Amino acid sequence: MRRRLWISLVGTVLIVLGALIGNLATGNTPVLGLDLQGGVSVILQPVEPATEDDLLVIRDLIRSELEARGIAEPDVRVQGDVIVVDLPGVRDQQEALDAVDVSGVVELRPVLDASACAPLDPTAVPPGGSILGDELLLDGTEIIDDPTTDSTVTDSTVTEGTGLDEPQGFANPIASPDTTVPTDDSAPDDTATTDSTIPDLSEIVGEPSVPGAELLPSRDGPPVCVGPVAGTGEVFERGSAELTSQQGWGVAVELRGDGQSVWNNLATQCFNTTPACPSTVPGLRGQIAIVLDSVVVSAPQVNQPNFTDVVAITGNFTRGEADDLASVLNRGAFPVEVEAQEARTVSASAGSESLQAAVIAGLIGLGLVLTFLVSYYRWIALVVIGGIAVWAAMVFSVASLVSGWTNYSLSLAGVTGIIVAIGVTVDSYVVFFERMKDELRNGRTLRNAGPRSFQMTWRTIWTADLVSIIGAAILFWLSVGSVRGFALFLGITTACDLLVCYFFTRPAVILLSRSKFMIGRKAFGLEVAK
Amino acid sequence: MTTRIDDIAPTGLGRLYRGQTAVDFYGRRRIGLIVAAVAVVLTIGSLLLQGLNLGLDFEGGDAWDVPASETFGVEDAEVVLVDNGISTTSARIQRRTSELNDLITVQTPVLEREVALQVTEDFADAAGVTVDDINFSFTSSTWGSDITEAAVRALIIFLVIVSIFISIRFEWRMALAALTAMAHDVLITVGVYSLFQFEVTPATVVAFLTILGYSLYDTIVVFDRVRENEGKYASRRMPYEDIVNISMNQVMMRSINTSISSILPVISLLLIGSGILGAVTLREFALALLVGMLSGVYSSIFVAAPLLATLKSNTATRKSRRTHRLTGDALRAEVVGAGLTGRVRPGTADGSSAAEVDDPTPDDEQPAEPVAATTAAVSKGADRLLTHPPRPRKKKRR
Repeated sequence: MRRRLWISLVGTVLIVLGALIGNLATGNTPVLGLDLQGGVSVILQPVEPATEDDLLVIRDLIRSELEARGIAEPDVRVQGDVIVVDLPGVRDQQEALDAVDVSGVVELRPVLDASACAPLDPTAVPPGGSILGDELLLDGTEIIDDPTTDSTVTDSTVTEGTGLDEPQGFANPIASPDTTVPTDDSAPDDTATTDSTIPDLSEIVGEPSVPGAELLPSRDGPPVCVGPVAGTGEVFERGSAELTSQQGWGVAVELRGDGQSVWNNLATQCFNTTPACPSTVPGLRGQIAIVLDSVVVSAPQVNQPNFTDVVAITGNFTRGEADDLASVLNRGAFPVEVEAQEARTVSASAGSESLQAAVIAGLIGLGLVLTFLVSYYRWIALVVIGGIAVWAAMVFSVASLVSGWTNYSLSLAGVTGIIVAIGVTVDSYVVFFERMKDELRNGRTLRNAGPRSFQMTWRTIWTADLVSIIGAAILFWLSVGSVRGFALFLGITTACDLLVCYFFTRPAVILLSRSKFMIGRKAFGLEVAK
Repeated sequence: MTTRIDDIAPTGLGRLYRGQTAVDFYGRRRIGLIVAAVAVVLTIGSLLLQGLNLGLDFEGGDAWDVPASETFGVEDAEVVLVDNGISTTSARIQRRTSELNDLITVQTPVLEREVALQVTEDFADAAGVTVDDINFSFTSSTWGSDITEAAVRALIIFLVIVSIFISIRFEWRMALAALTAMAHDVLITVGVYSLFQFEVTPATVVAFLTILGYSLYDTIVVFDRVRENEGKYASRRMPYEDIVNISMNQVMMRSINTSISSILPVISLLLIGSGILGAVTLREFALALLVGMLSGVYSSIFVAAPLLATLKSNTATRKSRRTHRLTGDALRAEVVGAGLTGRVRPGTADGSSAAEVDDPTPDDEQPAEPVAATTAAVSKGADRLLTHPPRPRKKKRR
C-alpha cells in the first residue's frame, strides 16, 4: 500500500516533469490566439460582383469549411466588398493561402459522348481521335462489367433518398475507384491505351461539336466530356450533404425548394437519355457530372426522372471518397466564386502587454491564494503548493501538445479561463481538507483521517468534475469558433485536476499524514498529537 | 491534545472556523430567494430596456485601412480614436503587412457618418497621406448566426445530459434546483453587462460559459453533502429542511474558502492586471467573472438548497416524526456530530466517553449562559455519534 502510494506520487511528478522538460526543450508552447499573437490574414475577392448577402453566405461557408479542416477559430468577416480571413497560429503566408483555398463553385453538367467534345473541323482531329473517344468510354464499360466489380452497375444509381431503406445507388462509373484500377489484369492493354490517348485528347484545340461541351479531367479517372452547365451547387440545401452508410458509403443531400425544378429538369433528361444528356455507356442511363473548379468529382447515373427533397448518391465509394463528395456538395453552395488576393501578416490586437498583464495578475493571484491556504491549513498546505505546481505543469504540457496537433489557440479569454480554473482546482483541496478537519476535530487521528476523508472527497470531486468534463465534451463536439476553444481548455484543466487529485494529492496527503514529519506541527489549525 | 468536539468556540468567527455554526438557512430562505429574485428582475428589466451592447464581432462596424509608415503605427491610430472620443477597448487595431503593402487596419463599432468622416480625415493627417489613400468600408460581423445556433444547440444538449446525469447520480429535484441556480448566475452575469453597457465580445460569451460551469460545479459539491447526510439520517426520519440546514452549515467553511481561492485571482486580474498594468481588455472580463462567481456561491446556498428543501418537503413519501425544524443548539449538535464517517477513536468510543464529554473543558474559558447550554446540547448529539454512527436501516421497517 505504502509502496504503491510512493510509486503513484513519484511517478506523477516524474511524468509531468518529463513532459514539461520535453515541451520546453523542443520549444513546443501553446499557440496563442489572434488577439495575443496575431496571425496571417488572407483577402478573398469575389470574381464577379456579389451582393452583401452573398458575401455573408460565403463568410459562413468559409468559416465552417475551415473548421471542418481543423483550422480552429478563424476570424472571417466581410469588409467592404472583400472577405477577410484571419488565421491564428499560422506564420507562413503561403500556408495561409493554401489553407483558405476553399473557393470554387460546383456545377452540374450532363455527361456527353466523347465525340461531342471533338472539334468540328475534321482536319484538327488527330488520327482516330473520335474513335479513341468512343473506346475510352467503352473501356469504362468493360471495367465496370468486370467480374471483380460486378455489382457496380446495379449499385450505381441515383435514387430518391426520401426512404433510405429503399434500394438506392448512384452510378459513378467514371469517378468510382474501381474504374481506375490500373492493376486490373483483365484489361491491362485497354488501360494502357486509354492512358496514352488522354493527353492527345486534352490537347485538342478547337470548337467542340456541341456548344458548351468541354472535356474536363476527373478527380480519379480519365477525362470526361460534359455538356453546358445545367445548374450549380446552389440547387442543394446548404450544408445538408451527409454520409450514409447503408449498402456501402454514400451521400444524401437535400434539394432546395427552388433548386428542385433545376435538378429535376436535368435528371429527367438524363433518365430519358435525351440528346442533351445521352447514354454514354450502353445499358446505362445518362449521367450528371458534379464539377468542382473544372474537375469532375463524380458522375453518377440517374435512376429516376423526378426527385423530391432528397437525392441519394451511392456507389463503390470508400468512406473518404464519400466524405469528400459530401464536402464538395456542401461547398457547392457558394453563390459566387472567390479568389485569394493576397496574404498579410496581422499583428496582435490585444498586444503582448495584455498577455503579460494577465499572466502577472494570475501569478500574483495564485500567490495570494497559496498564502491564504498556508495561513489557514498550515503545514498540510504543502500538498497544495506541490499539487498546483504539478497541475500547472500538466496543463501547460497538454495545452502545448493539443495546440500542436489541432491548431487550437489560446486567446486572452482562454488565459483568463485558466486563471478561473485555479479556483476550481483549489476547491478539490479545500473539500478534502475541510473533511479532514471535521474528522480530526471529532477525535480521529491524522493518520486515520487521511484515507477516510479522501474516499468521501473523491466521490464529491469526480461528480462535480464529471459535469464539467461532460460539458466540455459536448460543447467541443457540437459548437464552433471560440466556444469550442473554451470547451477544449475547460476539458484540459478539469481532466488535469482529476488526475492530479487522484495520483498526486491522495498519495501526498496520506503519506504526509502518516509521516513523523507532521508530529508536533500544526495542520488545520490543530496541533498533531502523538 | 486535539481540540475536542465539545469545545464550542465562544465567538462566531471561531465557530465558523471550527465548523460549529448553526445558521438556520432554511428559515431564512425567503430573504435569500427574494434577493435572488430582485437581482433577476433587475437583469431582465435592464435587458428589455437597454439590451446588450454587442461588439464589433457580433454587429459589424466601420473599418479603415490606413497606410502604415515610420510615423504612423498602431499607437498613433489609437491616439486618433481617443481624440475623437472613441473607446479603444471596443475598437480593434492591427497592423497587416504583406510584400505589396503595409497597413494599419482599424475597426470600430458603427459610428455616426460625420464622426466617421472626421476620423478618416484625422487618420489622413496623422499618417501624412490624402483621404483617398485611406480605404474606408463597412465590416461585417465575424460571429454569424450559425455560430450562435450551434452554440445554443450544444448548450441545450449539454443541459439535458447534465440533468440526466444529476438525476441518476442524485435525483431530479437536485437537477432542477442546480439548473435554476445556474440560470440565476448566468442571468446575473449577463445583467452586469447589460446594466453597465459593457461591450459583449466572443470572449464575453466565454466568460458566461465559465460562470455556467463554475455555478454547476459549486452547486454539485454542496448537494453531494446533502446527499451524504440524507443517507446518514435515513433511520431517523429527519425532516428534509433539517438535513439541508445541517449540510449547509457543514459546507459553509468549504464554500467560503473556495470562494476566496477562486475570487482572489480574479480580483488580482481586476486590480493588478487592468488597474496597475493597464490592460483594459481584462477589466470588464474580470468584473463579469467576479460577479458571476459571487453569484455562483450565493446561489448554491441561498437559491439551490432552499429550493431543493421546498421541492422535497412537498413529497408525501417522506414523513417525519417532528413537524418543527431544528434550530440553534439542537441544529449545532447535528452539524458538529455528523462530520464522521465511521467509528471514532477507541478511547472515547467506549463507556467512559459520556462522563468525559459532559465535563466542560477547563482550558476554554466559557462565557456564561448560551455556551453552557450549547455544550450540554452538543454533548448529547456527540454522545450518540461518538459511539457508533447510525446505520441506514432498511426501508421496510415502519
